[in-house]
Amino acid sequence: MIAPEPPVPVPTRFVPPPGTAPIVQLRGIAKYFPGVIANEDVDLDVMPGEIHALLGENGAGKSTLMNILTGIYQPDAGEIVIDGYPQSFASPVEAIAAGIGMVHQHFKLVKAFTVAENIHLGWSDTPRAVSAAVLERRTAELAQALNLTVDPAARIGELSTGEQQRVEILRVLTRKARVLILDEPTAVLTPAEAHELFRALKDFVARGNAVIFISHKLDEVLEISDRVTVLRGGRKVATEQTAGCTETSLARLMVGREIVLSDMRGRSAGAAPIGAPVMTLEDIRADDGQGHVVLDGLSLVLRAGEILGIAGVAGNGQKELTQVITGMRQAASGRILVDGADFSRAGAAEFADFGVGHIPEDRLHSGLAPSLSITDNAVLREYDRPPLSGGFGFNGRAATALAKDIAEAASVTVPDFGMPVRNLSGGNQQRLVARREMRIASRVLVAAYPSRGLDVGAINMMMRYLVELRDKGVAVLFISEELEELLNLSDRIAVMFHGRVMGVVDTAEADIDTIGLMMGGKRLTDDAKGRGH
Amino acid sequence: MAYRIQRIPSAPPSVALAARGLAIVLALVTAGIVLAALGFNPLALGWQVLRTTFGSSYGLEDVGLLVIPLIFTGLAVAVGQKIGAQNIGAEGQFYAGAFAATGVALFVPGPMAVILPLMFVAGAIGGAIWILIPTLARAYADVNELITTLLLNFVATLLVYWVATGPWLDPSGRALATTARLPHEVPEFWGIVHWGLPVAVVVVLLVGALFAFTRWGYEVRIAGSNPQAARYAGMPFRRHLIMVMLLSGAIAGLAGMFEVAGTVHRLQGGISNNFGYLGIMVAVLARASPIGVLPAAALMAIILNSGIVLQTQGITVSTVLAITGLILFYTAIGDELARYRIVRA
Amino acid sequence: MINISDLTRRGFLNIGAAAGASLLLPKTGLISSARAAAPLPAVAEEDAVIAWGYVGPTSDEGWTYAHDLGRQAVAAAFPKAKTLFVENVPYSADASRIFRQFAAEGANMIIANSNYGDFIYDVAKRTPDVAFYECDGRNPLDNLGTYYVAHWYPSYIAGVAAGLMSASGKLGYVASFPVPSVYSGTNAFLMGARSVKPEATLQAIVINSWFDPQAAAQAGTALIDNGADVLFGIMDEAAYLQVAEQRGAKAVMWNTDIRRYGPQAYISSIVVDFNAWYVEQVRRRIAGEWTPTEDILPIGSGVDRDAWGETVPAETAAQADAIRDKIMGGWSPFEGEIKDANGNVKVAAGHRMTEVELYNWDWSIEGVTGL
Ligand SMILES: Nc1ncnc2c1ncn2[C@@H]1O[C@H](COP(=O)(O)OP(=O)(O)OP(=O)(O)O)[C@@H](O)[C@H]1O
Ligand SMILES: [Mg+2]
Repeated sequence: MIAPEPPVPVPTRFVPPPGTAPIVQLRGIAKYFPGVIANEDVDLDVMPGEIHALLGENGAGKSTLMNILTGIYQPDAGEIVIDGYPQSFASPVEAIAAGIGMVHQHFKLVKAFTVAENIHLGWSDTPRAVSAAVLERRTAELAQALNLTVDPAARIGELSTGEQQRVEILRVLTRKARVLILDEPTAVLTPAEAHELFRALKDFVARGNAVIFISHKLDEVLEISDRVTVLRGGRKVATEQTAGCTETSLARLMVGREIVLSDMRGRSAGAAPIGAPVMTLEDIRADDGQGHVVLDGLSLVLRAGEILGIAGVAGNGQKELTQVITGMRQAASGRILVDGADFSRAGAAEFADFGVGHIPEDRLHSGLAPSLSITDNAVLREYDRPPLSGGFGFNGRAATALAKDIAEAASVTVPDFGMPVRNLSGGNQQRLVARREMRIASRVLVAAYPSRGLDVGAINMMMRYLVELRDKGVAVLFISEELEELLNLSDRIAVMFHGRVMGVVDTAEADIDTIGLMMGGKRLTDDAKGRGH
Repeated sequence: MAYRIQRIPSAPPSVALAARGLAIVLALVTAGIVLAALGFNPLALGWQVLRTTFGSSYGLEDVGLLVIPLIFTGLAVAVGQKIGAQNIGAEGQFYAGAFAATGVALFVPGPMAVILPLMFVAGAIGGAIWILIPTLARAYADVNELITTLLLNFVATLLVYWVATGPWLDPSGRALATTARLPHEVPEFWGIVHWGLPVAVVVVLLVGALFAFTRWGYEVRIAGSNPQAARYAGMPFRRHLIMVMLLSGAIAGLAGMFEVAGTVHRLQGGISNNFGYLGIMVAVLARASPIGVLPAAALMAIILNSGIVLQTQGITVSTVLAITGLILFYTAIGDELARYRIVRA
Repeated sequence: MINISDLTRRGFLNIGAAAGASLLLPKTGLISSARAAAPLPAVAEEDAVIAWGYVGPTSDEGWTYAHDLGRQAVAAAFPKAKTLFVENVPYSADASRIFRQFAAEGANMIIANSNYGDFIYDVAKRTPDVAFYECDGRNPLDNLGTYYVAHWYPSYIAGVAAGLMSASGKLGYVASFPVPSVYSGTNAFLMGARSVKPEATLQAIVINSWFDPQAAAQAGTALIDNGADVLFGIMDEAAYLQVAEQRGAKAVMWNTDIRRYGPQAYISSIVVDFNAWYVEQVRRRIAGEWTPTEDILPIGSGVDRDAWGETVPAETAAQADAIRDKIMGGWSPFEGEIKDANGNVKVAAGHRMTEVELYNWDWSIEGVTGL
């Protein structure tokens, strides 16, 4: 029997009867890691029918607090009260049994399994005797009841990030969660997907449930949350009605002081002029190894001292593009010229030696070795050159010194460089990778969604660094889904669709509507121009 | 006042060590209760184990001899884990190394100073060859080495049995199951303990240094933790995988070489005494750290030798095996529990 | 898969030195001539520790059971001495560890009831103040003796009874491995049968185990299917006796009296008894008289035929026992001319095989097939 309530027509807002207890109440929560206060004295009330946003700088303790609420960590102090009763969860299984489910920053689905299998994995409601058909039918019914469209037979690995997230959410909701926690859900979504998500969330809370929503995107927070709680340095600084907030007021709460968002537009006086082509891609074709064409005759020119923005809906070949121009993937045909030399068959090491830095789109899976130390990860690009290595050896002390430099430049405070890098907060991992890559990017920096997971201040800093690099004559390839960011920073914008460049426009003359059309597959004026530079 | 249990990501070394100690004590207490229920006097038995293991040169020498193959096979498994390869085939590589070393000893004439080093090299090459196919299958076809290395164990076991009872059977006539005694033996330096022990320690230190203090070691660490990150950084993942797996096989082969040339002196079926499989346990206890293999192998050797003591006290092999398993089981639990702490709510 | 420790129940592993050169036969009595070594010093009975390493379990109703009876006899004779034993000692370096552990626990005498080759030899060499005995061993030291039983005589006597009782003249043999114990057993059995039925033949089936009831039963069935009506073998269990019982055939067994598994089929058994010999060795050790010996326990003093089965006719029993008396009186049936299975004369006319030759017999006589 499948039980979740059907999506009946509901009032747009659920108003809890007066005197209703908060669905979740955290009282005086503290969590200490060696050398770090992740949370201290945190109080949080979440009411039924509410979308409650959780804000804070990178490392402020948001993920930790939610990990405590869902039983992944145990608090060092404080108490969790659900529906008015104190509870303690030894594991996420216990939390979900009490109606509290979480979708993490990094998904926890089994890639090789189908949607239906993932939904039923480790679930006490899973029927004892199962066949694929039964699981898929159940999944389809559940999905329909919860108004989340998924293909039950599809393998997770074949799904887009947005679809994977939907599966994660479905997984939580099928277990009758009444409180859904989302840790930076929109960081990996296209704007369209994000809007779909928001609709589903509104639906969900309208039935008397609650959502806790972690995000660094202040506009989103203002758009969908009812109340917002801000953490700073592990402590709660405020809980506000969203209606009374603005982006600036929220930013001030997060940082503790006014932050001035610098305007990146326009080139600074001392900047190197846009120079000669550093890297030229000619008619690149590549497939994903399973026969799907992912780059379909793509041509691009990266020039010294220029930021070339790449616009486009995720999944249109951006990832493969970054892999091809960093030597991680070999193109099936076409040429890559680097300073005039043919790099078509070069590997990642040769690109790096030439001076290509790469902030990858999924830092945890390709940019870091999560279980190794911060030091090991910080030196990933320079371990093979002095002073770390003079050929054969590896100097651990020099490595730690370098790691300290990088962490400092990235403004990440690290209590212990020997601890696994996965212990860093999501944003701090991103900062570390970005700094590491900028150090070696003497000619080209490939930055895929570099602001993902960063807080407002850090994004601003990141943008400034990109501009600095450009001004020093580095060619920057900047991939983003946020048009505003692209328009703010790029000198030119290329739009990708189905593995092809639909057109390249000068930012100065760019017009959002045209770019939007190109993102949907329409070529700029005519083919000849679209292929061009 | 309520208390709660809290999991921490990694245990501080002192806590981990204390948990190990506690685990062993608890295992011994449990074993004692079982033995008492079987009608033995656990205290007298415990005293007997301690007295004959540490109080006599017999016991110490036996531990010293037992630890040699355990160091090699434990190191072999730990080395594989460095790059994320699960070498379940140390048993087979042990046989291959013993086989190759025996071949050299029996059929290559020459003085000991030449033949022994040659046997060493042959043992290493034999082990490496035995893991070659699983290595290439993993590197080029992504075939899981867990299964391939395991299957080759059975092949090696039967191959050595066949060669020792067939073509290489002791030509002096009446032996049905072993080769002739090898003309060269690894010399002993302390009672029955031969020079394989210091060599094993040196190999551990060299391998430890290789991973800690070389560029290659760093690259292998990264590749083992996240192959994707290795590719990202332009490290030759496949080449490292092949080298590490061959190194793992070669080290397991050395275990076989020293066992046949230093301890048993003849090749026979069953010569591995399960050292290859015990190496997996040693690597687990060592948490895949090369240096950690030394204390882990020593602990394992003491446990195995204690089993011999218990057998002479009338306790059956199966009971001894159960107690051995108990100690390892508790140790594993202790390792996990060390990552929890009790805090006041 | 074949377990290496199975191979050594009675051992056959050559130890490298010239086999049995110093082996002398005690025609009567217990002790062969001692090696010219100084005896080990005496020990007080209350300090004495005597240890046995057994190749099988004491519960096997066979070989190891018989040896453990010997251990119990020692314990009864020297109540203040301590006896130790370990069952199922494998043929591997673990055997050395067990023998060394006996020494570490103060054993004055260590006895292995099977051939452990280098695994006992190397330990004995390093432990000169401990007396060692190895059953079916062939490589003595100044503190390592060997012992075995002259089972070929009772095998011959049982063969006489078998020849008289066989209608088909076809004998069957369930063999463990092609080792001297098996060659001397099959040869002696067939020679006994031929002494009364000259056309008798023997077919052996090797099952590669000393203890494998299923294989032994299959072999027994196959032998009977081939026409054999009397089975013999060298097994530590009763499987082929049960087959013979079901099929109406007869059987001769080994080690102990196990007639209850097939009372109709049971002719006799090659029974062993180490009690007196063990007690004597331990007495010598305690008294400070012990020097190593290489003994083959003769018929009547360690090995014999068992009491005849209930279906053995009285005259058959009498005829066989007459041969037994002759043997006990000094006569040997193992005299040339004896030809091997290929028809070559291996023992010249007039030559009487020595006990050492019988102990190391490694070829089949004419009429034996399957080895
Ligand atoms: N397992 C851990 N061991 C040690 N320190 C940890 C661990 N988990 C988190 N921390 C530390 O706790 C602090 C809070 O981390 P948390 O992940 O909660 O931050 P966050 O608010 O989610 O940040 P972000 O926006 O970057 O995701 C950080 O300093 C982090 O390094
Ligand atoms: Mg976080």
